[in-house]
Amino acid sequence: MISDLLERLRALVLRRRWNQDLDDEMRFHLDQDATARVRAGADPAMARREARLAFGGVDRYKEATRDASGVRAFEELVADTRFALRALRRNPAFTATAVGVLALAIGAAAAVFTVVQAVLFAELPYPQAGRLVRVYQYYSPTFLGTISVVDYEAIRDQQRTMDGFGIARWGSATLTGLGPPAAIPVVRVTSGFFRALQTPAAAGRLIEPGDDPVSAPPVVVVSDAFASHHLGGNTTAVGRTVTLDGRPHTVIGVLPPGVAELAGMPAVAWPVLQPATPTRRGPFGLRGIGRLKEGVTLEEAIRDLAGISERIFPLWEAGFKDKVARLRPYPLRDTIVGRATGQLSLFAGAVVLVLLVAIANVATLMLVRAAARQHELSVRATLGASRPRLARLVVTEGLVLTAFASALGLGVAAIGLNLVGLIAPELPRAREIAWNGGTAMVAAALAVTSGLLVSFSPVAAVLGGTMLTHAPADTRRSGGGRRTGLVRGVLVAAEFALAVPLLLAAALLGNSFLRLQRVPLGYDVAANFEVRIALPAQRYSDSVAVPAFWRRVLQAALETPGVEAAGLATAAPPDMQGDVNNFNLVAHPVPPGANEPLSPWASASPGYFTALGIPLLEGRMFTVGDSGAAPPGDPRNAPPVAIVSRSWAQHYFPGERAVGQQLIEGGCYECPRTTIVGIVGDVKYQGLDGDGDGVYVPMAQANPREATLFVRTRGAPVGFMQPVLENLRRLDPDLPLRGVPMADQVRSALADPRRWTAVLTAFAAAALALSALGIFGLMSYVVRRQRREIGVRMALGAEPRQVTAMIVARGMRFVGAGMIVGLALTMLEGRWLGALLYGVTPRDPATTALVAALLLGAALLACLLPGIRAARIRPMEAIVAE
Amino acid sequence: MADPADLLPGTLELLVLKALSLEPMHGWGIGQRIDQLSGDVFKIQQGSLYPALQRMLRKGSIRAEWRTTVNSRRARYYRLTANGQRQLEAESALWQRTAAAVNGILRVRMVER
Repeated sequence: MISDLLERLRALVLRRRWNQDLDDEMRFHLDQDATARVRAGADPAMARREARLAFGGVDRYKEATRDASGVRAFEELVADTRFALRALRRNPAFTATAVGVLALAIGAAAAVFTVVQAVLFAELPYPQAGRLVRVYQYYSPTFLGTISVVDYEAIRDQQRTMDGFGIARWGSATLTGLGPPAAIPVVRVTSGFFRALQTPAAAGRLIEPGDDPVSAPPVVVVSDAFASHHLGGNTTAVGRTVTLDGRPHTVIGVLPPGVAELAGMPAVAWPVLQPATPTRRGPFGLRGIGRLKEGVTLEEAIRDLAGISERIFPLWEAGFKDKVARLRPYPLRDTIVGRATGQLSLFAGAVVLVLLVAIANVATLMLVRAAARQHELSVRATLGASRPRLARLVVTEGLVLTAFASALGLGVAAIGLNLVGLIAPELPRAREIAWNGGTAMVAAALAVTSGLLVSFSPVAAVLGGTMLTHAPADTRRSGGGRRTGLVRGVLVAAEFALAVPLLLAAALLGNSFLRLQRVPLGYDVAANFEVRIALPAQRYSDSVAVPAFWRRVLQAALETPGVEAAGLATAAPPDMQGDVNNFNLVAHPVPPGANEPLSPWASASPGYFTALGIPLLEGRMFTVGDSGAAPPGDPRNAPPVAIVSRSWAQHYFPGERAVGQQLIEGGCYECPRTTIVGIVGDVKYQGLDGDGDGVYVPMAQANPREATLFVRTRGAPVGFMQPVLENLRRLDPDLPLRGVPMADQVRSALADPRRWTAVLTAFAAAALALSALGIFGLMSYVVRRQRREIGVRMALGAEPRQVTAMIVARGMRFVGAGMIVGLALTMLEGRWLGALLYGVTPRDPATTALVAALLLGAALLACLLPGIRAARIRPMEAIVAE
Repeated sequence: MADPADLLPGTLELLVLKALSLEPMHGWGIGQRIDQLSGDVFKIQQGSLYPALQRMLRKGSIRAEWRTTVNSRRARYYRLTANGQRQLEAESALWQRTAAAVNGILRVRMVER
């Protein structure tokens, strides 16, 4: 086996040397033989001749030996390749078009394959990552919630199916003491989190069980980037102290370079989470991360956790009425990449369609070209080239073409992979995407497949003999054979069939995007900006300090010149809903044990509504006398109140007066009932495509430590942001503060759909252009081929208009057939598109009609040009020319 | 039997293997040895050795190297590899069995007549 390869390689690579050796060897043989004959008494003059005779033809055996060296096939391949290169160079326009089209398509496909592989299929970068799970509070198949400290402690103490279980709370922390105060992304975790992931530390140690108790000194693990940026490298970092949210944390470990997220949560620091002993089932907001024991199935873990849910439910029933809710594990990878699956599938599907259109297009071009070279091929056949040999020539040409395209495509893929961050900044696991061997393999595989595909139809034509049956003199007049004509028609029809779903998807996304842009936001954006403020628990510990500070914030903002109104809220439209809370209507309670309804739940100061221009439609605003004016538990406190949005009121009290109704908040049946005092206009909190539901409670009622300040200014906000921020910094220089114009927030909420629309539109445009090019190329070819026939028709009295109509009709037959198939294909894509659309269904008839009209129009134009050219044929010239 | 085409397929290779099993030698030597051993029954065309040698090189049953002859000329010497030795044994055994069987058949036909 190896000697075979080595021998062949020697014959191939050291060709000249190999031939020289063979010559030497044979000359030696003849000399030796002649000498022996002379020694035996032969005449020296005759000996040489006799030796040659005994040897048999020297050249013949040289050839035979060369054959035996096993490189003949390769030498032919080289010859074929040379021939193909020459042929391609002779027709640079065709070559450039075909290579360019295929390079873009192959490059895009290879890039998308790499992304899909890295994001959807590759294991997470942890040891035996398949065993990692995330534990949710399961309410219904469509609603999975986070877990609470109660859940965490119960799972930690009672579970029997996991090797390590911890919790993580993803958020931000204020970093002080290292330059100006900054908000940094952090994940607060318990020791079980690291134990479950089994990720290593590059320096120091990770969080261990001894760090978990509230009494233990606070510690933090930081990323390599953080250590080298702020702490002078990972070796000096360990042991240093950083102040997070006003509390000094000792750095105990540094993660390996490049690790910027764990369990799907990007962060730069992982401080220890030391939960206090819970007094009720909530609050939630924690992510449970666990590792299944070796050999334990997911089903066993599900049963294990379900048992725990049943045991803890009775203990905390007073505050948590959801009897059907269960703690439930899901594979961690699914929970991280889940939301990307739909978008990526759509993207990958679009790329595959474009690739297929490109292949069909180049195949058409190849076939038209092969037919144009019919004369040449016929001559070769006449001169004795066998059909398989001719077919091999054509295939070699196709492969050479796609090999070039593929090499270029790798460059395209590399560029494409760098653009992934731009096209899909929200993509999970984006850091794990990199050009790799798989990318190159896909490009190579695509080169071979597409090479075979594009040569398939011309080869079929050659082998089927349709191209060679005519005598060379006859070929110019024929259309290249009936069967070849049909193959060409099918290819063009396929291009249109594939273009329809692409165009429809792009049009639907565009339609949906336009609708999103026109969505009424429910608030003013032009002259407003917002500032997120988070108060560290360390310095703002009690329910006196926090509301006092919020009052000073509002005052400081309002005292700044140019500020017309200022308010605070825990939510920030259009896509930050603040909290979500469950509630029960006193007038219409849900059946016992059933899920209580949920709604976005924001704390807001009265100024919030003024600053954003949200109208009060009914009832009253919050007033100083509302709940929370006195410390909690104080009997002087008025009963709690809420303001609801119009949609919420219509949703839960259809046909009734909502103001004055009462509700039970957060499952607390012992707490005083909350009374609805007012109704305001709808605001989008759950994204622009979300509904307008919302419940507001006074700031003091929930006493949040984190809120957004909204400021309305006289005119555009840009010039007023700095003075307001300066006034705020005077209140507390350690708070990280940044002003963002609200118009920017709306723009960034539209960024995602805008990008998807742009990407798909680009693909659709490519498919449209290729399809039009395909039919144009085909019909131009048909006209050129049938010049004489058309000339005869015109000589017999056909009007130029009739000739044009004939050509157009012939082309549109293929287009029409393709479009019917394409429309059938669109039935399949609704599943992927549905989730990305707003305000239109995947089968929106108007959009479908628009797309069909666009394609037909483009095809008509593409057929019309050759049709007009046909009508200009001068009958006499065409007939006489042959 | 003057033409190698008249040899049974594979016979030439078997003869070469046998010749080389005695000692390493160059192409001409192999031809001489076969002529001599067969008592000039096989008058093979000398040139046909070279394609056969090339095939055997690829199979790994022989190896080649350039050496200097006693007359200080450069010549390509071939020698048997362990692989070739095994092949020789296997093919000789096969040949013996085949020959014995063919002989048996021929003998039967003679009796019938």
